[in-house]
Amino acid sequence: MAHIEIEGRRIEVNEEGFLAHPEEWTEETARLLAKAEEGLDGLTAEHWAVVKFIRDYYLEKNLAPMVRKMCQATGFPLMKIYDLFPSGPAKGACKVAGLPKPDGCV
Amino acid sequence: MKRRKTTPSGVVEAPLDPRTQVRAKEEGLPSVNEGRLRTYEPGDNVRRFLGLLSSRITRSLAVSLTACVHCGLCAESCHYFLARPDDPTMTPVWKADQIRKIFKRHVDWTGRVAPWWVKAGGPRDDEDLNRLKNIVFGSCSACRRCTYNCPMGVDTGLLVRFTRGLLTELGIVPEGVFNVSRDQWETGNQMAVTETDYLETLEWMRDEVRTELGTDAIDIPVDRQGADILYTINPREIKFDPRSIAHAAKIFHTAGESWTLPNWGWDQTNFGLFSGDDKLGAYVARNVYEAAERLRTKRIVISECGHGYRSTRWEGYTWAGYDQKLPTESVVVTLKRYLEDGRIAVDRTRNTEPVTFHDSCNIARSGDLVEEPRDVLRRVCTDFREMFPNRRENFCCTGGGGLLSMAEYRPLRLEVAKIKADQLRATGAELVCTMCHNCVDGLNDVIKHYKLPMRVVQVLELVSNALVVPGTNERTKHRL
Ligand code: SF4
Ligand code: SF4
Ligand code: SF4
Repeated sequence: MAHIEIEGRRIEVNEEGFLAHPEEWTEETARLLAKAEEGLDGLTAEHWAVVKFIRDYYLEKNLAPMVRKMCQATGFPLMKIYDLFPSGPAKGACKVAGLPKPDGCV
Repeated sequence: MKRRKTTPSGVVEAPLDPRTQVRAKEEGLPSVNEGRLRTYEPGDNVRRFLGLLSSRITRSLAVSLTACVHCGLCAESCHYFLARPDDPTMTPVWKADQIRKIFKRHVDWTGRVAPWWVKAGGPRDDEDLNRLKNIVFGSCSACRRCTYNCPMGVDTGLLVRFTRGLLTELGIVPEGVFNVSRDQWETGNQMAVTETDYLETLEWMRDEVRTELGTDAIDIPVDRQGADILYTINPREIKFDPRSIAHAAKIFHTAGESWTLPNWGWDQTNFGLFSGDDKLGAYVARNVYEAAERLRTKRIVISECGHGYRSTRWEGYTWAGYDQKLPTESVVVTLKRYLEDGRIAVDRTRNTEPVTFHDSCNIARSGDLVEEPRDVLRRVCTDFREMFPNRRENFCCTGGGGLLSMAEYRPLRLEVAKIKADQLRATGAELVCTMCHNCVDGLNDVIKHYKLPMRVVQVLELVSNALVVPGTNERTKHRL
């Protein structure tokens, strides 16, 4: 199993950088994943709005939400998601929210 | 005798992981119950593998299995070998030989079956079959660059797909391949998008374009009978990146096109191409063809997707045994026609960043669509530059053959992506344009891993950006 080392912490991830044990996610993990994988120094309230929505949706449905749902829940326009997470909704936002890699050609 | 220096094989040793297969069985999914989606059962897999092998051999496969003279020319065409030049297991010929030697031991070239137990060797157990899985799924992006460069006409890409198909029948496949096949069998699309989510996302994009252009005259029609064009898309567009749907809608509207998306049969991607399962290939392609027939459209248009284009435009008709009645084209061909016929006007000075073009393997090498995207790009960009090699000789984005859905092979994929990174960097371009959603993700991975100062775009985005919309003098705000 791959892992990333950051700020003296070791996080187990799969080969795509998605959390190996999605159930072990914490807000601290999110901050570290955002730094390591998205190059983000710190998460703003807007980042958290997206991340928390994705996290709750996943815990409830065991599924990554569609980007439309992310926009609906946060009130952000589509491009805002890309501004916040450079790798986009799937490989950026869902990863920071500690989801497993979504299935499919992404 | 001096031995060639070799490095340990780069073939990834990923164990067989049937967890999601077990779950699918427990849940009693119809595709599993009805035997369409095969799951792994421990037991007599070697015998079944050999039986399938001999029953499925065709003439063209037999040629590819027997015609290789081991000249080694193909090695230099494979990005795996170029990036790991001391590793013979990365050559196309070594990969193909792993199936070739089984064939030679168990079946002769006429297809006559020799008793499989006569000689030892070949796969002995499921472990050996799993190793074969790691070679044909994990060390080859099925890009067919080696095929294109073989003087003997050996189609290694075909052999790889054939072998994948045998393993798929036994459930000896990467987890990602199983999951995506499951979703496509169960829901008709590879990301398990529900009908409601599909329709609501289309409405959302319609509203976005209405706002952008300041008119309510724009529609994204679904199931409109008798429209000229049936537009089919990649589920990734619905689930994660619907900007391309908005771009297409804006352009179709401006061109005065009569078009529709179908309510069912809208997924033009096809995991059957990657898994080697012709039955899945037939099912998905048929959904598209029947949608066109049901809605009595005159043409099928495929959004920007490499393997979807190859599957829907070419091989799907064969898999499905379906007579092609309608012209079936990539949306890039449609765009080219609009530009030539003056149905849309563009201002190329809106795209001034240097842009290079990445030919998708499945579009250029395996789909024969080469000059059309270039014609379009020259009309909508001021600084278009080729990468080298290009066209049918281009290197894979490294995410081909479904590799993006197989996380276990990613470290090797990114290692051999060095070849792609060097090729991209040498162009000095700021944008790399590709007409494949899969390549978008593949190239994004390469760019991120090798820290290239580039961004990936698609043809629709550049055309949409350059589009002059009558009635609006100003450039429309390019927020989508
Ligand atoms: S596949 Fe073709 S190019 Fe490669 S070794 Fe065989 S004959 Fe030579
Ligand atoms: S199909 Fe592509 S990746 Fe596979 S062996 Fe040939 S050149 Fe290499
Ligand atoms: S993902 Fe793109 S470059 Fe790679 S094999 Fe497919 S079409 Fe080719």
